[in-house]
This record gives sequence, C-alpha cells and structure tokens, in this order.
Amino acid sequence: MITVDEKKMEWHQGMTIKEVLDKMENVKFCAAVRLNGKLVSSPSFETTLIPDNAVIYLLPLIAGG
Amino acid sequence: MADFTLKEIKTLEYVRPEIEKGYTDHSLHIDISSADIRINPVDKMVKEKFIGGKGYDLWFMWNAVTGKTRWNDPENAICIASGPLGGTPGYPGGGKSIVTTISPLTGIPIDSNVGGYFGPYIKFAGFDVLELTGKSDKELVVLIDGIDSKIKIYEVSGLTDDSYELSMKLTDYFDKDKPVNISVVSTGSAAKHTELGCLNFTWFDAKRKRVRYKQAGRGGIGTVFAHKNIKAVVARWGTVSMKINNPADLEAMKTVTKLHAGEINTLDPKQNRMALVGTTHLVPIMNDHDCLPVNNFKYGQHPESHNIGEAVYEHIFDKGFDGCWRGCAVACAHGVKDFVPFTGPYKGQKVFVDGPEYETVAGCGSNLGIFDPFFILEMNFYCDTYGLDTISIGTGIAFVMECFEMGLITKEHTGGMDLSFGNRLNSLELLHQMARGEGFGVTVGKGIRKMKAIFARDFGADAAIMQDIGMESKGLEFSEYMTKESLAQQGGYGMALKGPQHDEAWLIFLDMVHNFMPTFENKAEALHWFPMFRTWFGLCGLCKLPWNDIVPEDNRQNPEPAKVMKHVGWYADFFSSITGRKVSPDDLIPMSEAVYNFQRLFNLKMGYGTREHDTLPYRSVGPVTVDEYLSRTERYDKDLTDNYKVDIAGMQTADKVAILRKHRESRYEQLKDAVYKRRGWTENGIPTVETVNRLGIDFPDVMELLKAHGVE
Ligand code: SF4
Repeated sequence: MITVDEKKMEWHQGMTIKEVLDKMENVKFCAAVRLNGKLVSSPSFETTLIPDNAVIYLLPLIAGG
Repeated sequence: MADFTLKEIKTLEYVRPEIEKGYTDHSLHIDISSADIRINPVDKMVKEKFIGGKGYDLWFMWNAVTGKTRWNDPENAICIASGPLGGTPGYPGGGKSIVTTISPLTGIPIDSNVGGYFGPYIKFAGFDVLELTGKSDKELVVLIDGIDSKIKIYEVSGLTDDSYELSMKLTDYFDKDKPVNISVVSTGSAAKHTELGCLNFTWFDAKRKRVRYKQAGRGGIGTVFAHKNIKAVVARWGTVSMKINNPADLEAMKTVTKLHAGEINTLDPKQNRMALVGTTHLVPIMNDHDCLPVNNFKYGQHPESHNIGEAVYEHIFDKGFDGCWRGCAVACAHGVKDFVPFTGPYKGQKVFVDGPEYETVAGCGSNLGIFDPFFILEMNFYCDTYGLDTISIGTGIAFVMECFEMGLITKEHTGGMDLSFGNRLNSLELLHQMARGEGFGVTVGKGIRKMKAIFARDFGADAAIMQDIGMESKGLEFSEYMTKESLAQQGGYGMALKGPQHDEAWLIFLDMVHNFMPTFENKAEALHWFPMFRTWFGLCGLCKLPWNDIVPEDNRQNPEPAKVMKHVGWYADFFSSITGRKVSPDDLIPMSEAVYNFQRLFNLKMGYGTREHDTLPYRSVGPVTVDEYLSRTERYDKDLTDNYKVDIAGMQTADKVAILRKHRESRYEQLKDAVYKRRGWTENGIPTVETVNRLGIDFPDVMELLKAHGVE
C-alpha cells in the first residue's frame, strides 16, 4: 500500500510514478512529486520505481521564483 | 561608545498622520542637496488610480524627473513605499517595500520588491511613500523616527561601508534596547564603483540577535543611493498589532489572514517545504527540465547540479524562523551561520550569510560552471556585504567567462586573470576588485551592455557574437531561467517593463512542459493576465510567493490552476477588509493595468518604451553556436522538421542553426504583435489613446507624449 496526497493506493512490484498519475484525475500540470521526501521531476516519472509503503505528494504547478 | 560620528544637520518634528484603512495619505520628500524635508498630503486621484506601493513610487518619480534626466542627475528620485495592505502582521508575505529609481543600467524606471521591515515602518511612522532626491557633498544618514515623530538628517563620518557592520552599528545606535524597532536601508562599497549596486533592507532577528537582510537587488538602485551620498536611511517604529493598518473590517481581515496562514502551515510541509529549503527546491526541478542556466545559459542541465540544490542547503541552513516580515508563515528567508570565507577581508572569520535563494545559486553557481555550495555562499556573502546584485553579478560574470573561453578577451585584458568557466577564486576576486574600485572588476561592474561596447571598442572583440551571448535586454541582466524552449517566457522577459526579471511573468512550465498555451493568442492572454496580477502585489505591499508557491489541495481541479483563483479571492477579501473598497477578483487586474501602462509610458518618456527595445539576445531564443545545437540535436531537428516543415536531409549543422534562428526570431516578432494587441498597444508597443482613456491615465502630459510619438 502507498499513500498519494494522503489517500491510500494499492502497490505492486515495478510500479512507477507515471502509472500512479495515469490513475488519477486532474494531474496534467504535475511536473514534480515528492517521493518519500525526495524530489522527482517529470522526465523521470516513467523510470522511477515506487517502493512499498511510499508516501507521495504531488507538487503544485511550478511557479518560478 | 560608537566608533563613528553623527552630526545632526536637520530635524523636523511632525504630527504623525494616523493610518486609516491602510493609508496615511501623506508622502515624505527629502531633498538631500538642501536637507529640505517636506510632508505632503496624497491627492485623492493618486490614491484611486495608483493604489499604493509601486504605483505611488512611479507617480512621484514621474513628477520628479524629465525625459532628459539620467540616473546620476540630482533630480533622479529613489522612491520607497509599502502599500495599503503592507505591514499586516501574520498575513503571509504581508510586509514588502517597493523601491524605484531611474536605473544606471537601463535609463528607465527599475522597480524592486523587497522584504525587511522598512516599508511598513515608514508607513507606521506616517508616510505612504518616501521620495529621496538631490545629491549631497557629505555622507548622510536619514532617520525617520515614528516613535518620537521626528525626521533627522545627520552628516556621518567614520562609519564603515560594509553593509552588515553598518546596519548593526546603526541599529545599536538608534535603539540599543529594542533593536527590533529599527530597519536600515544601506548599500556597500562596490555600489560606489559599479552600476550593479543593490540596497540591503534589514530586520532584526531577535532569536539570533543579529540584523538580517533582504535585497532590492535589480537595476543598480544601490548605485544611485551611493551616488547621492546617502549612507543609510533608518526607520524606527514600536508596537505592531493586527490593528495597525486601522482596517475597515478588522474581523474580516483576521478571518482571511487566518485562512491563508493556516493553509500555508498545513500544506507547505507537503509541497515545496519552503520553510525548510527556501527556493532551493527549484534547482533540481529546473535542472531536470533543462531550464537551469549552465555556462552562460548555453546549457540547461549539469550532472553535478545535485551539489547545489535543496538536498544540500537543507542541511546547511540554520534552523529557526526565517520570515522577512513578522509572522509570515512561508518563512523562506533562510541563512547560514558560522560560514568561514576563504577570500577577502572576512577570510578566516565566522560570518552569517543571508541566503542563498534560487537565483543566487543558479547565477553565481551553475551559470559560472561552479557546483560548490560553499563557493555560492561566499559569493552571496560578499555581494551583500559590498552591496551588489547577485543576479547581475552571476549573469555578467558568466558572459565574461564565455567571452574569455571564446578568445574575445584574454588575460591581457583581465589583468592576468584566467576567467574561464569554473574559476572560483577569480570570480571572487572580481567582487573584491569591485569593492576596491580597481582592476577588471570595475569593467565587469558596468554591466553586460556597457561591457559589450568596451570589449568591441577597446579589445576588438566581435560585436555580433557578443550581442548573441550577452544575456541582457534593455540593459538589464537576465534572471536565472533558460527560455530557449518557451516562447511565452521569452515574451515574459523581452516584454517585461524594466527588463528581463521573472517577477512579471513566469510561464516556462505552463508553456514548455504542459503546452497549455499553444497559440500566439493563448500566450498573449497569459502575458496580459500574469504581469497584471503580479503587478498588483507591488501596489499593495505584498510578497507574491504565498500566492502560488503553496496552493490549495483542490487547486488542480481548477481549469486554470496557474492562477490559483482561491487565493486571488482571498487577496480581494484582504484588500476589501483593509481599505473598505469592496472588490472582487475581477477588479484586481484593472487596478494594475493603469499602473502597468503608466510605467510603459514612463519608459517612453525616458526615450525607450517602443518595440525596438523589447528585443532579446539570441541565446535566450535558440542555439547560437554549432556545439549548442549539437548538444540537443534531436530537439532542434524536430523543431525544424515538425514545426517549420524544413527538409533537413543532408544539411550542415551551421545551416540548420541559421534556418532555425530565422524561424524562431520571426516567431518572437509574431508574439510581440499578439501581446501588444492584447495589451491595447500600437504595433510599435505604445499604449493607444483608447487604452489610456479607458484606464484614466490620460493626463495632459501623457497625451502630449503620445502625440509626440505619433499616437493620436
Ligand atoms: S514568503 Fe518568504 S520572501 Fe515572501 S515575505 Fe514571506 S519570508 Fe519573505
């Protein structure tokens, strides 16, 4: 089981961030997430594997300095 | 016993104007030449049309200068104002000051939005805006004392130029028992010898028992300050409560303050964690999206960038509350304690460094090809101490380094210094030279536009290539984002009123990553709405970060999440609750539009403000060199074939560079057309008569100015 924006989601081996986002609505402006506190940016969504019990937060649309 | 002398040369006792619904309705004018101090009521028309903050600054500057005034003329004014909402304790970002002057770099008004307590304190002392004009023969300190209702001008001798030490000494001098009552504005030694001087605004950090800094960095405001021979302006004020702005509806103000602050307290730890890492989270995100400037904006990422991002600075920043205004829940103004510089006058001593923020990390780090977090701290520390803008310093030295690597300048010109990318010691030496007013550092301190002319004239360097790689527009150095793949952000920089600073529009991700604005009209709409809304913060005395760096959890369900409309609604409520002027979110854009267009007209008055001045160096639009093209061949080939239908089979790279350039430059001109149309400007980028009439800024001198430029 993983937690995405404080909601529980089933976990499976080989799960990627892209896969998680594909299951969610209104995520087209997501360019970065925090996976267990660490930043992961969109170019790596497809290749970043999620470990079991991971906690993920979607970052707001990047707004610059 | 102070080791400096202050000799009082003028004192004015005054009856402090009370604050009513966010305004004191009074302005303070100090002519440094004659030590003349005047307090005037603010006209009702000015209040209605210009709102406050930057609006007030521009209005008073407009009346102080002529179209012929140059930055170093005595009549050039430095104006500082907060705004009607500024100084509300606990409202996130609720205490900014906006500073304007005619910039030595651009010749047009520069504006800078800065933290620290100064702007709110002068308002509490009775003044919506402070205007400083004139030039003194002797070094002066100005005190605006709201507690004792006195304004004093002192001649000063023996006081250091070093900004940190100076601020601490004056804080001690003017209120030893309650240093939190003092905010000091000063610059530093390099502001005297360069055109990149910044102003440091302090607040006293009671926990750490030291002055802390924020900078009005851009455009050489510190240089104007130093040229006027003003050593410091000090504001003194006491108690600050929720009632201080005498709001029209205290309960409504408390409610909206609680909502916004509460949301930030809950969500920042889950989102950007700015209370822990400031804006350094942007470093890895920009790098991963190829937007982090590396080696003078040549490339957008580097494998060593992880050394200078949030993962490192989180552990270096000193823990504790870091709000640059009282009670700001974002509290992102971090610092580093016990840092030991390895060069310069503080070599080997422990110092406190305020920062770094993203711009400093990218400008003084990756853009110089340096990925050492401690080197960046040292650049940050000496820029602040010497009164220098870290952005212009970073972008300027990056330009010099590329010129050096291209052989456009050599050791013969640099005083024997190797200035290739990655040279840490010589980058720092340039700063020390600027502070001492000697060597090649003084040339670098003139900014890129003047360097280009000097390198061509005196060293025979190729002017055309320097035009392409010198990252300035309107004379101001670019801030630290790569824009090659975002046409909208090219517009955000090229059409920004003061020059390429991102505080007007930051559209890279919406445009480049999310492809949210595919047409010219979409981009033009964004280049209308975002600059207008961002301008509004500067009118009111607010910081923009709490608007869109922490967003409501349901924000992504909104069709236009970038606008964060829930927060826009809160800002409208906040404005209504303090001023008593009932506004809805739709009313905020027209408020800014009047000031925004007035600033464009101000540029016109100063001899700029037309289409030809909204140009960009090609480095910000596409690959200048063959190796730059080759570093992203797939991307540029695709652009040529898919977007411009060019058959590239068998084509040499140099030819591809040239054809791509033709298309991309033409696309930028088309964007200008669309943006000017949306903003109600002529094809030459001048507000039309209809626009100035609609906005109520059709003053006789504005109409005359338009007529003189053929706009009737
Ligand atoms: S958000 Fe950061 S920069 Fe803005 S007022 Fe708060 S502490 Fe200062």
